[in-house]
Amino acid sequence: MSSESSTVLSPPGRFAGGVHPPEHKELARHAAIEVLPPPAELALPLLMHTGAPCQPVVQPRAEVVYGALLADSDAFVSAPIHAPAAGVVQREGVATLPNARHVKTIPLKVGPHQMAAEELMADMFGGEWPEDGIADVAPEEIVKAVRAAGIVGQGGAAFPTHVKLARNPKKPVDTILVNGCECEPYLTADYRVMVEAPAPVISGARLAARAAGAATIIIAVEDNKPEAIEALRAAAAGDVKIMSVPTRYPMGGEKQTVRVATGRTIPTGGLPLDVGVVVINVETAAAIARAVWRKKPLTHRVVTVTGGGIAQPKNILAPIGCRYADLVAFCGGLKPEAGRAIAGGPMMGFALGDFNAPVTKGTSGLTVLTAEDVRRAAETPCVRCGRCVEACPLDLMPTRLALAARHKDWNLAKRHHLMACMECGCCAYVCPAAIPLVQLIRMGKVQMMKEVGK
Amino acid sequence: MDPLLIVLAGGAMLALSIGAGYALGWANRAFHVETDPRIEAVLAALPGANCGGCGFVGCASYAEAVVTAGAAPDKCPVGGASCAEAVARIVGVDLKPSWPQRPVVHCRATYEQRLGRGDYRGEATCAAANLVAGVQGCTYGCLGFGDCKAACAFDAIRIVSGLATIDYEKCTGCGACARVCPRNIITMVPFKRDRMLVVGCSNKDMGRDVKAVCTIGCIGCKACQKASSLFKVENNVPTINYDEYDPDHMEAALLAVEKCPMKGLIFVGRPPRSDASAPGGAEQPIMADFKTTVDDSEWQG
Repeated sequence: MSSESSTVLSPPGRFAGGVHPPEHKELARHAAIEVLPPPAELALPLLMHTGAPCQPVVQPRAEVVYGALLADSDAFVSAPIHAPAAGVVQREGVATLPNARHVKTIPLKVGPHQMAAEELMADMFGGEWPEDGIADVAPEEIVKAVRAAGIVGQGGAAFPTHVKLARNPKKPVDTILVNGCECEPYLTADYRVMVEAPAPVISGARLAARAAGAATIIIAVEDNKPEAIEALRAAAAGDVKIMSVPTRYPMGGEKQTVRVATGRTIPTGGLPLDVGVVVINVETAAAIARAVWRKKPLTHRVVTVTGGGIAQPKNILAPIGCRYADLVAFCGGLKPEAGRAIAGGPMMGFALGDFNAPVTKGTSGLTVLTAEDVRRAAETPCVRCGRCVEACPLDLMPTRLALAARHKDWNLAKRHHLMACMECGCCAYVCPAAIPLVQLIRMGKVQMMKEVGK
Repeated sequence: MDPLLIVLAGGAMLALSIGAGYALGWANRAFHVETDPRIEAVLAALPGANCGGCGFVGCASYAEAVVTAGAAPDKCPVGGASCAEAVARIVGVDLKPSWPQRPVVHCRATYEQRLGRGDYRGEATCAAANLVAGVQGCTYGCLGFGDCKAACAFDAIRIVSGLATIDYEKCTGCGACARVCPRNIITMVPFKRDRMLVVGCSNKDMGRDVKAVCTIGCIGCKACQKASSLFKVENNVPTINYDEYDPDHMEAALLAVEKCPMKGLIFVGRPPRSDASAPGGAEQPIMADFKTTVDDSEWQG
């Protein structure tokens, strides 16, 4: 740990819109990260990131060790997949992910000899994380290590991280923004990582800055997580700035975080790169540190299992490819009042149809809501109240977009920037007419791409 | 009112109309554009459904394309053979033998046979439900929200227990349903007979995975391929080569139908003629339904 500790900055910007739903983080907030014992079988989807699907590099019945490469792709925008446990590769299967992607999987029968829970935890987050010597690591080496480790954005979109870190002479980067907002209600996985393992997060942020050539490193955390801010502040030195940002959903959306933490506005349809910023999630930062210093691939991630329908809400260090059912069983099962399971949080998560679906690199949580939470409201006509327009953090007009999508009016959709929507769900949350705005917009995006292109 | 004023006004109107009449008559001759009378004739021969099934914007643009750009005369799915014949006669080309294209839903599972169905509460269209996991286990089969039914301009599709069912008596083969299906399980098949043999499943997964989501899905066993060269199993689901399909020599194909363990090769099309002649079956006497509409109608104030 460093001698001089940094101060907590206040944000220079703000964003309009957004909502503040009940947080419900108290359910799993104090549950320290626990390791899920490896289940009997894992199923690793060949496509769990944004980009090209991987191809298996192992044959069925092959014995693999922990961390062995299972699948890879030649494409630039892709990320290899590694074995989260020692075991035997099974014949190719299929799985329907909660986002409705039907993908091929590599099933892995887990062997009897596995790493002990404490050992795994120490390997993931414990021990010393070098503070010096980052300047000696070549930026290309970091990008290469991140690619080899199969690291993707663990905030949800699962975009391959090495693509973001690779230097682009046309678009120089001056700021690495580590996103610890975790604005999604219920979820506490990022919070636990920040509290329990601030050192790898900070080390990973420095490595990311070195790779991207950024001088400024900011870790943005919502002000409803003072313990996380304190833990990071105590562990960070002067070059890493901790920023306390207001608690408001969707603060963790990258356009919002960048706007609030740097005061820069990303153009519609643009990326943080367009304003010289690279945004990475806190867990992704920890994974980068682990990939560079310990040469370990991304095989596990912290998943919050929470909600009123879960017996004992927990934050679990789960192997990628385990079933949601394994997580639920580890948390003491479902309560009788459980009504609906959501992969992720309630705002942006996907309703889970099948507990046998596998956990992927982008899975941040499992929220089981009670039947009372998900009481059905019948859709009624739009009353033109404009609440969705007020709530939209991207200054779009959700009611128009939904109308355009429902009636396949692609001219109207283009005029109102249908493709700019990030599906945060604020509009549907505030809609008094219970119109499934986000679903309509999502459907519209897919149909428009199919029929007329962007 | 002054009678003079009335006469003046009437006279002025009369003079104006005579003048305008001459002007129009002159313009009609001066600005006359020579059009092929055959376009008009073709347009008159077409059914005028303007469905776009021919691939052109509407009947008029198809008529123009047939006469001027040499488009095939048998493109109109609504008009069928007689229309194609008439169009061919007007433009003076020979009609190649062709069969009417009709849609086939490559799924035959109703709600009872589909496993892993969830409580879906979202937008009730296939396009929306297709983006949600857990509506049903099978990610290839019919969703049953009726996007095809909504797209059909001829009222030829019904949703029966969650399965899109085509009424081949009403269907004109315009292909709107095949274009709108988000799962692409409706294809257009040349109907060489009133009833055609089709594959009633689209699931491309391995047998074990199919069994997990459907009780009657194709398990990709290739029994049909072994029985008849008409079938080719690719991606764990057979396709039928309709170029080779000979409705008069179906011995091998019928053997495949028998061999299929899932009974997934089915005949679809118009009901057989014998049935058609006896609606509702011969045994059942036709009775009037005396239920009044008062009993189950809601009081509307």
